[in-house]
Amino acid sequence: MGDPKEITTIQATTILISTIIGVGVLPLPLFAVRAGETSAPFVTLTGIFLAALGLFILAYLGMRHPQKTIITYSQDIIGKWLGRIFSIFVICFFLVLTSLAAREFGAVVVTGVLRETPLEVTVIVMLLLASISCRNNINVFSYIHNFYVPMILAPVLIVVAFSLKNANPLYLRPVFLGNDLRGMAAGMLTVSALFQGSFIITMIIPSMKSPNKALKASFWGILISGGLYLLIVIATVAIFGPEEIKQIFWPTLELARTTAVPGNILQRLDIIFLAVWVLAVFTTLFSSYYFTIHSLKELFQLKDHKMLSYFIMPFVFFLAMLPQNILHMYEIIQYIGRAGLLITIMYPAFLLIIDFLRSWRRKKNVAKPT
Amino acid sequence: MWQNQRELKVAISLLFLIPLLSGCWDSQEIEQRANVLALGVDKASEEERKKEDEISHLGKRIPIPDEEMIKVTAQIAVPGRIPLGPQQPGGSEKPVLVVEVVGHTLEDAMLNLQQEVADEIFLGHLRIIVLSEEIARHGTARFNDFLRRNPEIRRTAALVVSKESAAKYMNLDPELERIPSLYLADMVDNLSAIGKFPPSFIGLFWTIYSSKGQDPYLPYLTVIEKTTIQLNGLAYFHGDKMVGKTNPLEIGIFMAVRGVGRGGYGAFIQVPGKDESVLVRAVSRKTRTKVTLRNGKPHVSVKIQYESEIDEKESASIELSDSAILKKIETESSKSTKKAIEKLIAKTQKSKSDIFGFGEHFRAKLPHYWNRNVKTKEKWDEIYPEITFDVTVDSHIHRVGMKSK
Repeated sequence: MGDPKEITTIQATTILISTIIGVGVLPLPLFAVRAGETSAPFVTLTGIFLAALGLFILAYLGMRHPQKTIITYSQDIIGKWLGRIFSIFVICFFLVLTSLAAREFGAVVVTGVLRETPLEVTVIVMLLLASISCRNNINVFSYIHNFYVPMILAPVLIVVAFSLKNANPLYLRPVFLGNDLRGMAAGMLTVSALFQGSFIITMIIPSMKSPNKALKASFWGILISGGLYLLIVIATVAIFGPEEIKQIFWPTLELARTTAVPGNILQRLDIIFLAVWVLAVFTTLFSSYYFTIHSLKELFQLKDHKMLSYFIMPFVFFLAMLPQNILHMYEIIQYIGRAGLLITIMYPAFLLIIDFLRSWRRKKNVAKPT
Repeated sequence: MWQNQRELKVAISLLFLIPLLSGCWDSQEIEQRANVLALGVDKASEEERKKEDEISHLGKRIPIPDEEMIKVTAQIAVPGRIPLGPQQPGGSEKPVLVVEVVGHTLEDAMLNLQQEVADEIFLGHLRIIVLSEEIARHGTARFNDFLRRNPEIRRTAALVVSKESAAKYMNLDPELERIPSLYLADMVDNLSAIGKFPPSFIGLFWTIYSSKGQDPYLPYLTVIEKTTIQLNGLAYFHGDKMVGKTNPLEIGIFMAVRGVGRGGYGAFIQVPGKDESVLVRAVSRKTRTKVTLRNGKPHVSVKIQYESEIDEKESASIELSDSAILKKIETESSKSTKKAIEKLIAKTQKSKSDIFGFGEHFRAKLPHYWNRNVKTKEKWDEIYPEITFDVTVDSHIHRVGMKSK
């Protein structure tokens, strides 16, 4: 732990926001509408609550072990070897998550914007950017996130605000359509899987100035990013209607394509939106990449994470190239995302329970002799 | 040669940057692409069908019969001849090139078009797609797939139905604008801005088409003389097939029921007790649509509040000098509007075309009824002719212009 503890609460919040907002914003309305039709905002909201629960558990765990990350305190809680085995799972999962994010980014760019550019190039450029930036320490990491957050939030809000001119509130009703509860539950899991980047909090806490404010930071982080996601779902559903959204891969991008700034200043906003979205993807990728190598470093008790940065890039790239096509990719993303909730929510919850039991027993043991 | 290691490193890393100088894969010079500005889709005639070569298919192994082949007329911008500002002296050369191709589907026709044009076809500037009435009546769904799938197409492009062949619109030479397709597109955009037509663009058409409780509508254009286009009504659809058109004044009535606030149409209202009439123009409206079930049958109540203004009176014998006569004109105008609305709704009911989106109100506000009895778009189109409705119109005339009598 050579890094100075400098991350403020606001910085922690911005890291969470820019990590959570990523590639997921584009297909999010499609996932939500597939699950709940007009109750898509409701599905999104439940997904956000589930994600918030997971995040709070992690933040609370981190506050109980303010010097350590999940990789190290899990070894204290459930034993050295068991902790290490679970940590390997966590690291592998984030390795896959990084590669899928890069691949999804590549897929959008190749289909929507740069149609002649090979997929491999867009993916490699993104990964290269992330791996170069990952050679910095955690404070630089937090500055980068802090710097980009306003640029990520503002344009999305602008697109939403201008697009509401064409909105039809009828598309949002009935708010709760109880046709397919199982589908809605699955949709809830898919939506909350889009928030998995928030796992990064466990890595930030040891470097925070005041780790006991981690819960506050995660509350604001999930409130802002979740609020933005909810806003996007509401806006796209109100404009396209559930049936039309089912026909589009990336409703959010389509929203930007339909929206014009009044007065013929810009006839479509998708170029601005895409430029920003590249930033959002970068910060997400950056976080999960950083988390992967940082955790590897802690697992093997290395002094420095820098050399790992280039070392794992071929693996990430290889994993990113595995899906055969865009449909296959989204099947994998939804599957991995839902399965990943076991790692990002269930595992921390399990750790927290054991931790409680241990401290309770310790207290009892301490109480007895006296 | 190199003083030290550092310089060598810099030089090598600079070498790596050289390949980037050529730009990216997608770079394309603007004069090297064929910007398609407008497309016109017609049904291919007998002899035109024979012109098709084996470009996207060999022999006869495609499921679409030759009878349904389409003729696509594309208007392509000629590089350098598009005037950039309004002050440029107008040259005599035509700024656009018009190419005709045939095909079984839209993409098929595009592939055939590419075979005839040297530059790569670019659809990002496509402003308007004109469908001839014949094609629209035959069904538009088969064009939607290509247009949705292609990332270059703008959702804000206009889609219109034409009375004449669509090819005629591509060859039109309007005086007001140098580029014919831009004039056409402005025709649609500006007319909806001044309240002559509800908002209409291809994305909206798709949205309405896919949603369960409403049917789409499009502007219906016709050519008058050689260079003038008229907005001749509103083409209404049953599913993806055009089933009829309204007359221009009914567009205003449609907008009132649909709840478009901006008014723009004026109508002659007979002054009670006299033979003469005044011209009353709608300024704005407010619409409230309520849906209920009456004995298990769907019922719609529409309440419309008009803000109008008197634009002109027909003869000197009408005295517009006290408020009592305005009150009378108001009631008369409400009555005639109400009648027109009822007529229009009945007309669309006959052709099972719910362009007003009443079905959406039922889906949104009475979900239990919808889930039990309707559920699908087809079912709603069956129910729509059966629904009952009542219309309440309430007009207010607040302004009469600068004249006191």
